[in-house]
Amino acid sequence: MLLALRDVGKVWLIERTGERVKALESITLDVAPGEFLILLGPSGCGKSTLLQIIAGLESPSSGEIRFPSVTRGVSPCAKPNGKLTSMVFQDYALFPWRTVMGNIVFGPEVRRVARGEREERARRLIDLVNLKGAEDRYPHELSGGMRQRVALARALANDPQIVLFDEPLAALDAQTRRVLQDELLRIWGETGKTFIYVTHSLQEAVLLGSRIVLMTAHPGRIRHIVDVPLARPRHLTGRAEAEMLDRLDAELILEVKRAMAT
Amino acid sequence: MRASHLRRIASVLGLLVAWQILVQTGKLSELFLPAPLSVLATMWDLTRSGQLPWAVLVSLNRVVQGFVYGAAVGVFLGLLAGAVGWIEDLLDPWVAAVYPIPKSALFPLFLLWFGLGDPSKIATIAIGVLFLVLVNTMAGVKSINPVLLKAAHDLGAGRLQIFTKVILPGALPSIFTGLRLGAGMALILVFITEIEATKAGLGFLLWEAFQLLDTKQVFAGVVTFGLLGVASTWLLQWLERVGCPWIQRSN
Repeated sequence: MLLALRDVGKVWLIERTGERVKALESITLDVAPGEFLILLGPSGCGKSTLLQIIAGLESPSSGEIRFPSVTRGVSPCAKPNGKLTSMVFQDYALFPWRTVMGNIVFGPEVRRVARGEREERARRLIDLVNLKGAEDRYPHELSGGMRQRVALARALANDPQIVLFDEPLAALDAQTRRVLQDELLRIWGETGKTFIYVTHSLQEAVLLGSRIVLMTAHPGRIRHIVDVPLARPRHLTGRAEAEMLDRLDAELILEVKRAMAT
Repeated sequence: MRASHLRRIASVLGLLVAWQILVQTGKLSELFLPAPLSVLATMWDLTRSGQLPWAVLVSLNRVVQGFVYGAAVGVFLGLLAGAVGWIEDLLDPWVAAVYPIPKSALFPLFLLWFGLGDPSKIATIAIGVLFLVLVNTMAGVKSINPVLLKAAHDLGAGRLQIFTKVILPGALPSIFTGLRLGAGMALILVFITEIEATKAGLGFLLWEAFQLLDTKQVFAGVVTFGLLGVASTWLLQWLERVGCPWIQRSN
């Protein structure tokens, strides 16, 4: 087991009213090495918050997060020896003043990897994400799809065990999204890394995931966890895929309705 | 593009020629509005006699020193205040109190404290530049997308690295805005501080000419100030292109 969440909760305090809002409640989840785990749910279910907690960018209000294979009882905020997780943000979060190459080497650079080595590593990643020839361009000179490739390569440059994706394709057009979904699957296969992927798109979840964590809103809880035993490559028009979509769709709609009623 | 260029040149040349003709035909008095060619001749004479180059050097020395001191302190404090909450709290009331004061109004105080020489003039210019650079630098730090700080943190950057590798470059475009405004302010202030209590500098040359009703020399000074303004703008634009190559420029 790579990552274990035990009874994780998060409470936001709304300062203006003094109100306490439960964003996450009793999240218990085990993540196995090499899986493509989808966090799926309506907006407001706390899936992004959960991702930030796993990344160590937010601390949980209760419960604990462990990486049993590496360190015992140390949260990823400590980042003791090497990075365990790297995040790919929805709006790319590229440094506008750095070129493609400059963005990708950022992680190794701040962790004081020698220049030659980090650029060598970056070049391999540029090949992996199909960005050859764009090394010296600035983010504003790239299309949305290319920016997201840079963001992925930058996250991989720290050689994390887990890559966290926060709705990475939400801002892209449908065609670019399809192409990048295939590439994500290829890169997932080639690198053997664990992907934890937040989305609100059911189609995306069925297309990509090896497991889907279906979440509910207000408070964010795990409704249930679905294995996706479908063979790859998958097609949304396939019979098994369609059946799965139908089943999850019904559940998701129920969830959204319930959330709207409260 | 071509046509608009021609219109611009025609506008300038047309006005200058009309002006020259109006003066030469006696419709305008040289005392109030000397002809462009006489101004040019005066500038040439002042240059050959060494008066104008010397005045420019004296003023530039004050401008550059004041600008560099003011900009350095402004950038330093601005970055600190933008990045560290409690430093901002300490600075904020002072910025709010001093920023609206026309900095020329502080000149008499500086004369009192630093004497009649260069230091009082340099201090006035430095204060004027400092606040413009400070306010713009702080705004630049605040304008940085917080997701970038998160991303840097996630990639393993420490506090100092976030400061040097995210906050500084992120604020750089605003810093340059502050520097450009500061350069304009420095030229205004060097003129004002050279009206009184000095015997050298471009402002002195201009003001002395006015008191002698030597309008040609007044114009020579005005034109030279204009040239200095253009030169400082070009220099800063060039610096910005080198310093911030990632900025999209429309022209």
